[in-house]
Amino acid sequence: MAPPPLLAIGSSFYPFSPPPTTIAIRVPSFPLSHTPSAVKLGIFLSLHSHIPLFNGPPVSFALEYDGPPLPFDLPRAVPISVDDIPVASVVSQVPLSDTLSLPVVQPIVAPKNPTVKFSKELRTLGSEARVSKEVELGSERTVSPTSVIAFEDRVSQSNNVCELSGELSSSGAFEFSNVNYASGEFSDEGGSSRMLEESRGAGSSGTVEFCESFDKSGRSSSALRVSNELHQHDWASTESVLSLEYPSTRVSSLKAEDCGDARRPPVVTFDVDSDDALDGDFGDEEEAVTRPLKREPLTKGKKGSCYRCFKGNRFTEKEVCLVCDAKYCSNCVLRAMGSMPEGRKCVACIGFPIDESKRGNLGKCSRMLKRLLNELEVRQIMKAEKFCEVNQLPPEYIFVNGKPLAYEELVTLQNCPNPPKKLKPGNYWYDKVSGLWGKEGQKPSRIISPHLNVGGPIQPDASNGNTQVFINGREITKVELRMLQLAGVQCAGNPHFWVNEDGSYQEEGQKNTRGYIWGKAGTKLVCAFLSLPVPSKSSNSHGEQHSSLSSKAVPDYLDHAIIQKLLLVGCSGSGTSTIFKQAKILYNSVPFSDDERENIKLTIQSNVYAYLGVLLEGRERFEDECLGHLKKWQSSTPGNTGPGPESDEKTMYSIGTRLKVFSDWLLKTMVSGKLDAIFPAATREYAPLIEELWNDAAIKATYARRSELEMLPSVANYFLERAVKILRTDYEPSDLDILYAEGVTSSNGLACVEFSFPQSSPEETGETADLHDSLIRYQLIRVHARGLGENCKWLEMFEDVGMVIFCVSLSDYDQFTVDGNGCSTNKMVLSRKFFEAIVTHPTFEHMDFLLILNKVDQFEEKIEQVPLTKCDWFSDFHPTISRPRPNSNSNSINHNPSLGQLGSHYIAVKFKRLYSSLTGRKLYVSVVKGLEPGSVDAALKYAKEILKWSEERPNFSSSEYSMYSMEASSFSH
Amino acid sequence: MSLSQPKMSVAELKERHLAATDTLNNLKQRLNHTRRSLLDTDLAGYARSQGKSPVTFGPTDLVCCRTLQGHTGKVYSLDWTSERNRIVSASQDGRLIVWNALTRQKIHAIKLPCAWVMATAFSPTGQSITCGGLDSVCSIFNLNSATDKDGNLPVSRTLCGHKGYISSCQYVPDEDTHLITGSGDQTCVLWDITTGLKTSVFGGEFQSGHTADVLSISINESNSRMFASGSCDTTARLWDTRMASRAVRTFHGHEGDVNSVKLFPDGNRFGTGSEDGTCRLFDIRTGHQLQVYCQKHSDNETPPVTSITFSISGRLLFAGYTNGDCYVWDTLLAKVVLNLGSLQDSHEGRISCLGLAADGSALCTGSWDTNLKIWAFGGHRRMI
Repeated sequence: MAPPPLLAIGSSFYPFSPPPTTIAIRVPSFPLSHTPSAVKLGIFLSLHSHIPLFNGPPVSFALEYDGPPLPFDLPRAVPISVDDIPVASVVSQVPLSDTLSLPVVQPIVAPKNPTVKFSKELRTLGSEARVSKEVELGSERTVSPTSVIAFEDRVSQSNNVCELSGELSSSGAFEFSNVNYASGEFSDEGGSSRMLEESRGAGSSGTVEFCESFDKSGRSSSALRVSNELHQHDWASTESVLSLEYPSTRVSSLKAEDCGDARRPPVVTFDVDSDDALDGDFGDEEEAVTRPLKREPLTKGKKGSCYRCFKGNRFTEKEVCLVCDAKYCSNCVLRAMGSMPEGRKCVACIGFPIDESKRGNLGKCSRMLKRLLNELEVRQIMKAEKFCEVNQLPPEYIFVNGKPLAYEELVTLQNCPNPPKKLKPGNYWYDKVSGLWGKEGQKPSRIISPHLNVGGPIQPDASNGNTQVFINGREITKVELRMLQLAGVQCAGNPHFWVNEDGSYQEEGQKNTRGYIWGKAGTKLVCAFLSLPVPSKSSNSHGEQHSSLSSKAVPDYLDHAIIQKLLLVGCSGSGTSTIFKQAKILYNSVPFSDDERENIKLTIQSNVYAYLGVLLEGRERFEDECLGHLKKWQSSTPGNTGPGPESDEKTMYSIGTRLKVFSDWLLKTMVSGKLDAIFPAATREYAPLIEELWNDAAIKATYARRSELEMLPSVANYFLERAVKILRTDYEPSDLDILYAEGVTSSNGLACVEFSFPQSSPEETGETADLHDSLIRYQLIRVHARGLGENCKWLEMFEDVGMVIFCVSLSDYDQFTVDGNGCSTNKMVLSRKFFEAIVTHPTFEHMDFLLILNKVDQFEEKIEQVPLTKCDWFSDFHPTISRPRPNSNSNSINHNPSLGQLGSHYIAVKFKRLYSSLTGRKLYVSVVKGLEPGSVDAALKYAKEILKWSEERPNFSSSEYSMYSMEASSFSH
Repeated sequence: MSLSQPKMSVAELKERHLAATDTLNNLKQRLNHTRRSLLDTDLAGYARSQGKSPVTFGPTDLVCCRTLQGHTGKVYSLDWTSERNRIVSASQDGRLIVWNALTRQKIHAIKLPCAWVMATAFSPTGQSITCGGLDSVCSIFNLNSATDKDGNLPVSRTLCGHKGYISSCQYVPDEDTHLITGSGDQTCVLWDITTGLKTSVFGGEFQSGHTADVLSISINESNSRMFASGSCDTTARLWDTRMASRAVRTFHGHEGDVNSVKLFPDGNRFGTGSEDGTCRLFDIRTGHQLQVYCQKHSDNETPPVTSITFSISGRLLFAGYTNGDCYVWDTLLAKVVLNLGSLQDSHEGRISCLGLAADGSALCTGSWDTNLKIWAFGGHRRMI
């Protein structure tokens, strides 16, 4: 027996302060279980006792409530106050269990219950039939909820138990009555999770909890669902707690509106008809929307002839359209079906779901097609036919326990260790405890994996049994009963069994296992004879089931579209963004949409203004320096008048007043940080000024000294030289401009691009492998480095990536950054630190790493001037190139590797050593020029090869592993 | 700024800056010292001296009574509706799922444009949900809007402007039009959803705010002008939405990132959960730390706290840890009274988020094992 629920909750959850009363009532909702016998709370008992009265034909109460409206001073008027809580505790002390459990169970079980039959009948009817029924019911439904309350009152008088509920439920009583009322309705067909949710609109979560109690008691998923009908009225009209206030006619009109503006969330598609029942004429329209059209072929010739050329007879070989059943002869089939992107469908039928009766033919090629097309084409078409999304089984056509499946549920169902074979659209029942599976209204056909979270709760009449013997809340069929008897199960006294997936069974309410149904060898024989399912071997070993479930949650056809994720990281300035943009340009036919281009244009333009600002700032600095020098020089040599007084004021860095004003203004704007806000828009106004500025000698002189301007990024040259063109309003950024531009890929956060490698020409590699390759999609994810170093918290999100591509700019070795404390650090050392942090991050423990040494072009230039040893880490770089061999007077440079190559090789080895010392594994390295498409393409293809290799690695012996070691592969280009 | 005093040289400025920093640190230390000397007891000590006894849990007082299965990736965030028993959860599979907590049904499954989502929240009316993540954009979905042809719910509004990932978001209570987000760009932002613009920014470059990523925010339910934020800079800060320029108060004490903050139900205190494995309770009015909640393990290491929440009365503090534990602390006596991780049907992975139902009747935990679980009073036999 449960402890007094209300008190117990109160003390466990709210020891600090007295709990609000509403909570005390809501709390018991959660701990419910499936077992009817487990319903032990007084509230629920009082509820159940109402059921029999409402299970009669609905008409009867429609008549009964036609009377005058009831007075409105109903229980709801009395709010629960804190003082009421002790009352609740009194309730729980009443010895309910033994005497009162009977009224709960009986109405549920009763097989001659007219409601149940009716619902069965309904279920077998087509949808149209259902709608019409609904329409009929519509009139009955005009019963005002108030009358139900009255009913409820009567009930509570008739049943002494309900005195309890009366006390308890000053707010809840109405809700209960709704439930009861609804249980007679049973009309709803849709799984309607949404409606359930809506029912909460009634304001009290108590409602659904009570519904829940029905649910758990094993019978009334229909009651539960339908109960929402009424609550939905509440929702539709107002958010008021009780729906007594309005007449039901208003409800119906509201409902129609609701359906009309089609604001339905996706979960429910089929429940509309029950809603629409309130106004009958609406039903047809919705029907057209929710039910898929059965497509008819456009033309039809004489019987047996080809649908296109009208020639031939029924004996000529023909191909059939999977959607509309049109038949075409071998002459016409290719014309009628085109390139068959979704398999054998007429061109007009592409995009439509296939005729379910032809599902079995999917992917089975006919002889005619084989004759017409070559093998590769056939294979491609069959693959498309089988795996394209339109041709997949639509989940909403499969009803399990009266509820249409959601996509995830279908996936779960199809990928469980023991899936139902040849799943076709239809109504099924599924016993989650034992795994029994069958068609609605029929005996079990299979035992599939148990405990799948699929469909609604099972209904007692799921298999249309009439034996009064129940297994897991389902009344079993005669055949099953026979089997049970033959298996030696005691079935006297109409027992209720719990049967587990391993066949162990126990009687409801008892703890000990009574035996194993399929334990005896003979039972299996009997089952085979009665064509009943027996558990397969794998379903017995339920221990490993859960693990296999989690490991394979992707349906077959999704496997083919699986995405390999590549994470691209690197310090800022390492060129990750360039590589990202390259990938976009390389593999996407439309790399940037018009909107993107427009944004990019603005970004580039404001970048250019920023560069100009840096230039102008530099100019001021140079001017000051110059003047200072001049003054110093003049003061140190007082006798010398030098170049004359005019040069005091003017240096080669001085500019005219007009430009000076502009320059001052621009710098001021930059300092205040408003550049982004002002620029792009002001472009038109300042474009001529820019041209003048750019042509000014002082700016040109400053530009010549740009290497001294640290703030000026190296790409600025590219843009500054085109400044005049770029800052025109009609400027259209080219791909190259975009590639060079900074800040184009969202600099904050993350950018990702999906692509697949284009098919290389078939002569190069095997056809089949290529076909497979092109199906794999890759996703390049570029994350911004900011904040990655210290708190790599969100790196944990990327544990499912296939590989990490770490980007390092080679030319960073002589660059320094100054941090907040004024210490300057070499950028290469920073990169190394970051690399160490990423590599040792627990998320990437077993991840492959590809190191991209970027900007090798700049590096080669730089290393000729600045020694690599400028970076402390590279202090032991002693290139051998400096010693030319004495006997070779010819151009040894051409034969020996250049200094740049040696340098990049050296750095690669440095990183490899570091990596292997950290992880004990091998690092893949690729040297890349980020601005050259071919170079990036090669690097990404290399990444693809690594991924492929890591998949196949287990198949190779370790000796072959060395093939991928550093020397052979790291410099593949 | 140097512009106003062009005469001052850079070296001089640097010197002055250093001196100022020193003074500041000195003052901070003195403040801490004074605080410590004033703090003569903690909550647990006082409660013990008053003869309080810890809360006790019976075996069925808190059990897992629902498991919400459906995500295929790690669950990162969850939120309850204020009225109805719906839960929205955000996962690394790139979906938001709206659940009916009672029936376990999925009401909506929303595919996100950016799969790396870190935070999600229900609006006070339950009509819309918002989420944010590594894309630095806050996306708002109206649950009533029609789906597009692929069956996806379209984004009804996006709030752009953060320069870092969005780590947490919460609607201002009783207002469907205002939202506060915390972000990796070290700021919190109050948004006006109708216009899609920032109403105010808390912290940031030129203001005294967090000096590292903001990881969590929590709005005071009783006085929605106040909210607390926790950050990677190991501090928690209290903000007044009317005064964005500076934090009302900064709370030091943690030795690691503050992963989670949660206002105490009475609005005068708040709790924090940190990477250093402790939870702390701070008093808003005095600025004192009231209590440290730290359970030493045998190896003297405590796993980081990922998320915390309080029971309605505040007597219980639920804290999720990275090792899959979820302790129920007695807030008064600083004792672990229950570990959900050791119960039947507990999570197999790290507990990443916690949420208490608005009526306090149930606790929902989200975990990296892709499931959500609902914990509540369970009087009898467990669910199948």
